[in-house]
Amino acid sequence: MQTLKLWRTFKEGNDNFRRNGWLTFATISVITLSLFIVSLSLLIGIVTQSILQNMRDKVNVSVSFNPDVTEDRIMEIKNELSKYKKEISSVEYISRDDALKQFLADSGNDPIIVKAVEEIGENPLLASLVIKAVAPENYPLIVEQIKSSMFQNDISRINYAKNRKIFDRLDYINKTTKEVGFVLGTLFIFISILITFNTIRITIYSHRQEFEVKRLVGASNLYVRMPFVFEGALYGLVAALATVALVSGVAYYISPFTQGAVSQSFISLYLDYFGYVLSGVTLLGISLGVISSAIAIRRYLKT
Amino acid sequence: MPDIQPIIYFENVAKTFPPDHAVLEDINLTIQAGEFLSIVGASGAGKSTLLKLIYAEEEPTAGEIYFNGRPLSRINRKHLPFFRRNIGTVFQDFKLLPERTAFENVAYALEVDGKSTEEINQEVPEILEIVGLGGKTRKFPRQLSGGEQQRVSLARALVHRPKVIIADEPTGNLDPVSSSDLIQLLLEINSFGTTVLMATHNKNIVDKIGRRVIVLNNGRIAHDHNKGKYVLN
Repeated sequence: MQTLKLWRTFKEGNDNFRRNGWLTFATISVITLSLFIVSLSLLIGIVTQSILQNMRDKVNVSVSFNPDVTEDRIMEIKNELSKYKKEISSVEYISRDDALKQFLADSGNDPIIVKAVEEIGENPLLASLVIKAVAPENYPLIVEQIKSSMFQNDISRINYAKNRKIFDRLDYINKTTKEVGFVLGTLFIFISILITFNTIRITIYSHRQEFEVKRLVGASNLYVRMPFVFEGALYGLVAALATVALVSGVAYYISPFTQGAVSQSFISLYLDYFGYVLSGVTLLGISLGVISSAIAIRRYLKT
Repeated sequence: MPDIQPIIYFENVAKTFPPDHAVLEDINLTIQAGEFLSIVGASGAGKSTLLKLIYAEEEPTAGEIYFNGRPLSRINRKHLPFFRRNIGTVFQDFKLLPERTAFENVAYALEVDGKSTEEINQEVPEILEIVGLGGKTRKFPRQLSGGEQQRVSLARALVHRPKVIIADEPTGNLDPVSSSDLIQLLLEINSFGTTVLMATHNKNIVDKIGRRVIVLNNGRIAHDHNKGKYVLN
């Protein structure tokens, strides 16, 4: 009997959903808009984070060694550095030959430069270790440690100073976007709750005469309420699907503009997250609809 | 309480709406099962409030109302929906669900009770046939005349086979022919043993029925006659 009643209330909610035409359309549009704004701020958050991540991956500290330091000695230092796993994510050895190849490649194998290098007769470049830190704030510490270490005499120079500004800037952007994103996201979620709640209240208001009638023929409050809860869930579900479609469209559209700024193409990054986006937005939409309905109908349910 | 258990019994009932608007005062009323009772009185005399107290839409400020010997104040609010299924209600404005057909409106009263679809499909057409709407089960309220809408509402009130039918100005929006048809139906229902309580303004109808009449005046029972006529003072 309970299942039968549940099914009947679901059917009634579904009927209301389909029969109300314009009201349904308006409600779904408003919820979609709210969800879209929230998702968009999340999307912007993801883009910013991945751009920052990508930039962070590109910065490093390069330690160049004096020409007389042997490769064995450098490998020894490399092993030493590799032990600091908490601070250092990778250490890469670039030999003098590799450095030269890279230099020539970077200059586009310009014949004049190639000629000039040949004239010098020997490789003018130094061997180096390229160090990447786990977090940008680790760089000053790492540099200090290297400078005061036992192999300080082997070092020709550390190109940290010129990167320092980039590190600080990245740090700052990272913190700011997180804070702004959090504040905006919270604000948008709050606004969307208000908008959804009010919209659903209007749809329920249009049914207000029915509540009295239903109670008079012996319907329990729960039986009166359930169709609206189902109706709210349907609004949320449809709005969520519409939102995901919109957001996917936006992701597809902005993907070309982020080329180079993020490591993989943005659309594939988005697809990686698609499961979360879909389930997150759907869950948010349905809860918004259900909670708004349940609260909005309360005032009409005196016994 | 009287010796023979009445179906409805008012014991020193008063109803005051905030802040201090006394609508009913000192009401003592015994209604036996199977009676046909008309309640008359000027607008604002308290007719509707008296009826609302019976189906527990309002609570008395003082006194007690018994339904079948059971004090209404003891009914848990959660159980009110079940209690209301003992009483069928008919109103001046019909109170039909506009988005549902005649059949669906009547069926709703059974659906809330958890009746099976088979039962509903059997009982609803029967009851619509009884009120003379056998051919109009699929019409929406807006496609029906006032008299027809009121008969849908009566069918809905009857479908539970309630012990009591409460009709608050049932003919208020009906033309004389529809009114007299509806009263005829109510009398028929009463003849099968259902208690009928009707509040009305309609002098002709009350005089024609020739059954018990109580007259409310300023919230008090001014007259109570067994073969009553419509008198206001």
